[in-house]
Amino acid sequence: MAKMNMIQALNSAMDIMLKEDPSVVLMGEDIGYFGGVFRATEGLQRKYGEHRVIDTPIAEGGIVATAIGMSVNGLRPVAEIQFADYIYPGFDQICSELARIRYRSAGEFFAPVTIRTPCGGGIRGGQTHSQSPEGIFTHVSGIKVVMPSNPYDAKGLLITSIEDDDPVIFFEPKRLYNGPFDGDPNKPAVPWSSHPKGEVDEGYYKVPLGKADIVRGGADVTVITYGTMVFVAAAAAAAMNLDAEIIDLRSLVPLDVDAICSSVRKTGRCVVAHEATRFSGFGAEILSIVQEECFWDLEAPIQRVTGWDTPYPHAFEWEYFPGQARVAMALKAVLELA
Amino acid sequence: MRMNKRSRLHLPSPPARPGEAPDFSYVQLSPAGAVPRPDVNARARDIGSLSLTLVRVLDDAGEAVGPWHPHLDPAELQIGLRHMLLTRLFDDRMQRNQRAGKISFYIRSLGEEAVSVAQGMALRPGDMLFPSYRNQGLQITRGIALVDLMCQLLSNTRDMCKGRQLPVMYHSRAGNIFSISGNLATQFPQAVGWAMAAAIKGEDHLAASWIGEGSSAEADFHHALLFASVYQAPVILNVVNNQWAISTFQGYAGGEQRSFAARGPGYGIAGIRVDGNDFLAVYAVTQWAAERARTGAGPTLIELVTYRVAAHSTSDDPARYRAKNDQEHWPLGDPIQRLKQHLIRIGEWSEARHVALTAELEALVASSWKEAASFGTMTEGPRLNADLMFEDVFKEMPEHLQKQRALMRAERG
Amino acid sequence: MSQYIFKMPDLGEGTVDAEIVAWHTKPGDAVSEDQLIVEVMTDKAAVEVPAPVSGRVVSITGAPGDKVAVGSPLIVFDIGDGAAAHAPPQAPNSTIAKAPAVPVAAVSAVASAPAVASAPAIASAPAAHPGRVMASPANRRRAREAGIDLSTVVGSGPGGRILRDDLAGRTPQPVPTRSDHPAARAVPETSEIKVIGLRRLIAERMSEAKRNIPHFAYVEEVDVTELEALRQQLNLSRPADAANLTFLPLVVMALTRVLESFPQCNVLYDAARGVLVRHRAVHVGIATQTPDGLKVPVVSNAQSLGLWEAAAEIRRLAERARSNKASRDELTGSTITVTSLGKLGGIASTPIINAPEVAIIGLNKATLRPVVYQDAVAVRLVMNLSSSFDHRFVDGYDAAAMIQALKELLEHPAMIFIPKVRSP
Repeated sequence: MAKMNMIQALNSAMDIMLKEDPSVVLMGEDIGYFGGVFRATEGLQRKYGEHRVIDTPIAEGGIVATAIGMSVNGLRPVAEIQFADYIYPGFDQICSELARIRYRSAGEFFAPVTIRTPCGGGIRGGQTHSQSPEGIFTHVSGIKVVMPSNPYDAKGLLITSIEDDDPVIFFEPKRLYNGPFDGDPNKPAVPWSSHPKGEVDEGYYKVPLGKADIVRGGADVTVITYGTMVFVAAAAAAAMNLDAEIIDLRSLVPLDVDAICSSVRKTGRCVVAHEATRFSGFGAEILSIVQEECFWDLEAPIQRVTGWDTPYPHAFEWEYFPGQARVAMALKAVLELA
Repeated sequence: MRMNKRSRLHLPSPPARPGEAPDFSYVQLSPAGAVPRPDVNARARDIGSLSLTLVRVLDDAGEAVGPWHPHLDPAELQIGLRHMLLTRLFDDRMQRNQRAGKISFYIRSLGEEAVSVAQGMALRPGDMLFPSYRNQGLQITRGIALVDLMCQLLSNTRDMCKGRQLPVMYHSRAGNIFSISGNLATQFPQAVGWAMAAAIKGEDHLAASWIGEGSSAEADFHHALLFASVYQAPVILNVVNNQWAISTFQGYAGGEQRSFAARGPGYGIAGIRVDGNDFLAVYAVTQWAAERARTGAGPTLIELVTYRVAAHSTSDDPARYRAKNDQEHWPLGDPIQRLKQHLIRIGEWSEARHVALTAELEALVASSWKEAASFGTMTEGPRLNADLMFEDVFKEMPEHLQKQRALMRAERG
Repeated sequence: MSQYIFKMPDLGEGTVDAEIVAWHTKPGDAVSEDQLIVEVMTDKAAVEVPAPVSGRVVSITGAPGDKVAVGSPLIVFDIGDGAAAHAPPQAPNSTIAKAPAVPVAAVSAVASAPAVASAPAIASAPAAHPGRVMASPANRRRAREAGIDLSTVVGSGPGGRILRDDLAGRTPQPVPTRSDHPAARAVPETSEIKVIGLRRLIAERMSEAKRNIPHFAYVEEVDVTELEALRQQLNLSRPADAANLTFLPLVVMALTRVLESFPQCNVLYDAARGVLVRHRAVHVGIATQTPDGLKVPVVSNAQSLGLWEAAAEIRRLAERARSNKASRDELTGSTITVTSLGKLGGIASTPIINAPEVAIIGLNKATLRPVVYQDAVAVRLVMNLSSSFDHRFVDGYDAAAMIQALKELLEHPAMIFIPKVRSP
């Protein structure tokens, strides 16, 4: 075991996969020689060569399309989209092609492509460096959508995603690259080295898709969340001394519906928290599922904690970002506290 | 207020609208045999003129002339003629079937048979093809059974796509033909990726892809050329300029200002403009591009100048936007007619043999259709199980789809 | 429509709930302030509850036999516009407790229909929110599973929402049985008496006493010939307003004397705290049979009463108990209990201790028996005392010694009236 931050954990995952599977290649803007703007691919081109770790033109559509073509020819590409905010030029190739190749060819062809992309705010990055578009992709059948919240899960999930024969979009909450973040920007940053999930096995291991992690068991209220909000929600609940059950989904598609429902049936009270915008966010899907499956166990309406329905502003970062105060309001409402 | 000055917004329009006299004077032609044939390793910037001229081998009399003459064995040419004729007869029959309500939709390649057949024959079986929906000649050239194509058109119990795709969206893993997409131009950069992988793996296979000139407007065209150029991928990128994209004249794809082949040199890759209705020329140019790619000299953009004789699809009526007898005035003739004429001229074919071949192929089409229909038609016979709708979305069917499948079954009683 | 929600008042110090005995109103009725609307019963006392306001009854909560928690909604009145200002706020300890109780309507066996049919109709009036019942999904499910019709529940949550606690204590709706059918009403083989009210209380208390207390029985015969002579003599010269003296006051007085020497038999066991509370005063419970069942009115501070006072008090309490007018205070607080069935007393019995006391003294029948008296066979009036003691806290020796002391006083009754010599 070693102490790793999320970047190092991702790097380790790719390093191991490049080593174990000669069909794995990495591609993306600035990822080769430079090692990636977030250093996620640091040292890998030096180690495995330019034919395995490939710098690309600034063309997200071209990156995704050529990755598809490579995967049809037996390679297993891991394509980086530098910021999730820039994924949209690749949207057609992702939704019209990547998502459907297996389906429309009845399995004769399939595209085992993994698209890695940093997402989320809390970094004062404004509209083009802070978005959380994961919900959009959960709506397209044929794509898997994953978002880890810690180094241990990040490495295991990335290895699983790369080995998965289905296309996976792997969202990396950039605020969590270096340490957990509980939503309070005024506290000094906490590194992953001080957190148990910063203990990462140096070898090969997998974390399965479709399996949520119960970060904290509890009986008062169920908090369903993923990404940076895992830490924000946990901190808010702790500050209120609540016995909250915190569920880190980790995988949005496939979704661990059993974990969600078992918990809500137990507590009868549910809060869903994500950074992404509110209207038609992934939280709306979770709410619908909880309403369908657990209606008769609900003591109070389900609450959502989300970003506001505005483009991500720069100067209003901390009024926009769903911090502990927003989580606390939702917890108070769902528990019907004064 | 009246505008006296000429508008600064130019709006392309075809030379002849319905009721007007056809006019193909805009098509840049070269005399047969006039265009030089450079070395396959020539630098793109040195052979830029090839993107503006027109490579032709067969002259108007059916004689093969010039440096691009591929000197193919007559038997090879006869096979080519057979493939083209079968493609046409298959198209005819399927068109009639659609009009008779036996299939829901069809796209013909009338007048463009040489594009797919000659190019298909110039490539090796291990080369991966990324076609559009108008390259059925490739399927036939690669030996995909007519019955299989027909079952896909019928979406019946032997449909290779298991009911998921619109008619004509074929694929063949064994035949190395990628799954056809309904989205335009998406296959272009995918082919480049495939070619990059072949290079990474150290294999000498190529990828080849086809789009229409109208689709070259899509961003995927640019991505394909860019990535092909940056990585010098071993790929052949074909723009089939058949002048029309439904009712969109090729001027709207930029064809008025510059040939499509000329975009190649713009990206630093070789661009060759060829007579798409000349079997020998198409074969020769494809052979040149294949050898270029295989020897590591990089990609080629080939513009095949041809004419879309029929409608875009069974849902289209070209009489609404172009002159009805346009195709009679097309300066580059008909591909089947011209190859037949050439073979007769060199004593390797005859009208009688042509009639016999036609009859043989028509019978093949008919018997194939009968066999295909036995696996189910739109109105009778076995039908695909709707449960198939939920398979192959992912490798393993996830729980939520299992639940939805159960709901669908319940809904249907 | 402005509403006044009347909640179950506290009927005595710290009553936590009360059982509904009978409704005297139903939804739709117009009532005036102070009009009797419902009778409820606490541990021992039946209490009449008057209407706190004038208005129309919208809904009522609970059927006879249901326990309603103090502070939970009992009845909703429509007091009309503007009347809200006049509706009195409910005092935490209302004066209801002092109201005289009226005879509890006997819920006895009914030949034909099931007992429930004779109960007042269950409210089917709309709840607070016009047209809709407000309840969370979880509570709707609980109500459904418990067979509770939500439209009969008054919600104490915001906007009249039914909360989980509002469902507590509610009993399911009666399921119509076959005997509802007219044809089946002819001559039923069985009839049902609901165990509610005082009977239920008695049942609960008896079970609990027997379950928790290791009873130790001690029977002794007492020669009451002298006592009888004294009683007759006293009756001849009793005061004009005094009623006929029975053995009971004499026994009570003797008991109070005896307990001075046996204080360990005059204790109450506080199980929650695990302590025995020793009382200096002697509050004697007198087990009294009433039409409703057994009640135990209490002669408070019996040690300070003279004989005639004690007799009068015993008689008064019995009268009140029998006529169901005894107050809660009069029915609680005993430190020891005496039980007598008079002529029906039999020769021995095993009375059940009135928890949390530790001793109960039972008087059996006084009859003439041939005994050996002063070395000769004689006919004497003999009465057995059948007593039970809580063997956890009263050893056999103490119990026996106490009864022997009591016997001695009763056999030499003059000694009852000699005060104990106080030690300096």
